[in-house]
Amino acid sequence: MAITFLYPFFWMIMASLTPEKLIGSLTFIPDSFTFNNYLAMFGKIPIGRALLNSMFVSSVITLGVILIGAMVGYALAKTRFMGRNFIFYLIIFTMTLPFQITLIPNYITIVKLGWVDQYTALIIPFLVNNFAILMFRQSFMSVPQALIDAARIDGCSELRIIFQVLFPSIIPTIVTVGILTFMTTWNEVLWPLIVVRDEMVMTMPQLVTLFSVGGRADAQLGVKLASAVLLALPIMIAYSFFQKYFIQSMASSGIK
Amino acid sequence: MAQVKLNHIEKVYEGGFNAAKDINLHVKNKEFVVFVGPSGCGKSTLLRMIAGLEEITSGELYIGEDDVTTTPAKNRGIAMVFQNYALYPHMTVYQNMAFGLKIKKVNKKEIYERVMEASKILELEDLMDKRPGQMSGGQRQRVAIGRAIVRHPKVFLFDEPLSNLDAKLRGQMRVEIAKLHTKLDATMIYVTHDQVEAMTLGDRIAVLNDGRLEQFDTPMNLYNKPDNIFVARFIGSPPMNLIEGQLSNQEKGLRFKDTSGNLEFDIPEDFQKRLIAYTDKRVILGVRSESITDKRDAASINFQGTIATIELLGNEQIIAVTGLTDTVICRVSTKRVCALEDTVELFMDISSIYFFDKESEQRII
Repeated sequence: MAITFLYPFFWMIMASLTPEKLIGSLTFIPDSFTFNNYLAMFGKIPIGRALLNSMFVSSVITLGVILIGAMVGYALAKTRFMGRNFIFYLIIFTMTLPFQITLIPNYITIVKLGWVDQYTALIIPFLVNNFAILMFRQSFMSVPQALIDAARIDGCSELRIIFQVLFPSIIPTIVTVGILTFMTTWNEVLWPLIVVRDEMVMTMPQLVTLFSVGGRADAQLGVKLASAVLLALPIMIAYSFFQKYFIQSMASSGIK
Repeated sequence: MAQVKLNHIEKVYEGGFNAAKDINLHVKNKEFVVFVGPSGCGKSTLLRMIAGLEEITSGELYIGEDDVTTTPAKNRGIAMVFQNYALYPHMTVYQNMAFGLKIKKVNKKEIYERVMEASKILELEDLMDKRPGQMSGGQRQRVAIGRAIVRHPKVFLFDEPLSNLDAKLRGQMRVEIAKLHTKLDATMIYVTHDQVEAMTLGDRIAVLNDGRLEQFDTPMNLYNKPDNIFVARFIGSPPMNLIEGQLSNQEKGLRFKDTSGNLEFDIPEDFQKRLIAYTDKRVILGVRSESITDKRDAASINFQGTIATIELLGNEQIIAVTGLTDTVICRVSTKRVCALEDTVELFMDISSIYFFDKESEQRII
């Protein structure tokens, strides 16, 4: 199983390090290594800038999703107010709507707000995430009420209860939501393609896609693969750091 | 330290469930009051309302001289100890105890002094750097009590603090809490479903049932002068025996006859006056198990029954006997050899009996 998953990946890395003309006859370990593909790519597109853009956009979204998701999840799990269940089911319901359905209305909104070609267009629509809300709600439900009561008597505000008292107890959930959000945001291509045309604001997947498919790579496979490796790298690094929590949380949340 | 006054307190939940019905209660300054009652009687809800963790539907609550009915929990000057300790799992013992003071922006030196003072009282000095996960249940509960002490509250609230501990530890902690009350000289309100805890700790006990306050009195009065059948059954182990029967007026005065007809006796002189209004009416006779024995006594009357169960306790045996309207539980010395299905002659001390009105369930005598 692992080999079937890993082989194409390994091949991609090797191929990106192989001189262009040898890629066709690539063996498992190539005879000669070169970084020319990477250098060529850097010369053709502002990939460094795109990397920063992606970092910025994904980090802000991840942070926002965790903060907002935790607040909404807490309210749904631990406070009593009219229509709480209705709101919760409404949020669940929105999970059944595919992104493509809301694509056009969202685009129109962005145009009306004048956010085209701006970071706000890439960030704000993703700040509230129904999946994160669900995950946080479930974790907060399992926290004993007495802990919250104790904090309240100690004089904590609701925000302090969430972020100072309860957060340390639900680290696996935070890490899972963080990684999943970061990953999906990082890999998002469709939405940036629609709202951003300025190369300086583009995220990496968008730029790489345009570069590979749009013909600017001059059909050079090696260069395309080099950009693909660069695209996959941050997620892999993040995953290797957090995998302990990730697996733990996946196992306990029952989400596959 | 301060008194706590509850005036006509009501709690109605969203679905219409009435968890507290017109509760009036006055906890005096420095008093140790226990709320006791079966599960779901509303005792924890009442405590949580005093703490400010549960909204009061109607009525007024005073702590000291202040009306705190709508005051948030943090400003009521109370501290609470929970059943499952509710310690912050990621903080050390010191941080747990200091947390509330830190939020209140008490200066560091004073925090240190107060935490150390509390840890000395509770013998927690060696545990200051441990986290809750590394400690036993008893230690955790001590930390939770410590966290309450450092706040210097006007009133301490305990919500079944010993329920999660094993029997031996529970006994030790009970003694410690009693000592603490003497040492701190504080007003304390304590919720439990365990009547032994209630009887041993409380200066006064509030017995609650189905959201109502059944009786609020000293432990001895609850035992010796229960207001109604519920209190009579709830306080004391084994519970008071209740035998249904009827009073009739005979030549010598009132006479009681139980429904089965196997128990019949003349009502003692002193009780006649108060029972006369119940002539020819159904009443319930109440007798504590220690008032029924196998020894004849001047003031006792005898009846016969069949042994249904035997519990040997070492110094005595508790036997359940059938033959009257209901099964009767009594205490017999271990010298007497008992066997199931045996017929025994028992003696009831009729100088210490109770009568309850069958309709209202209130005590007549």
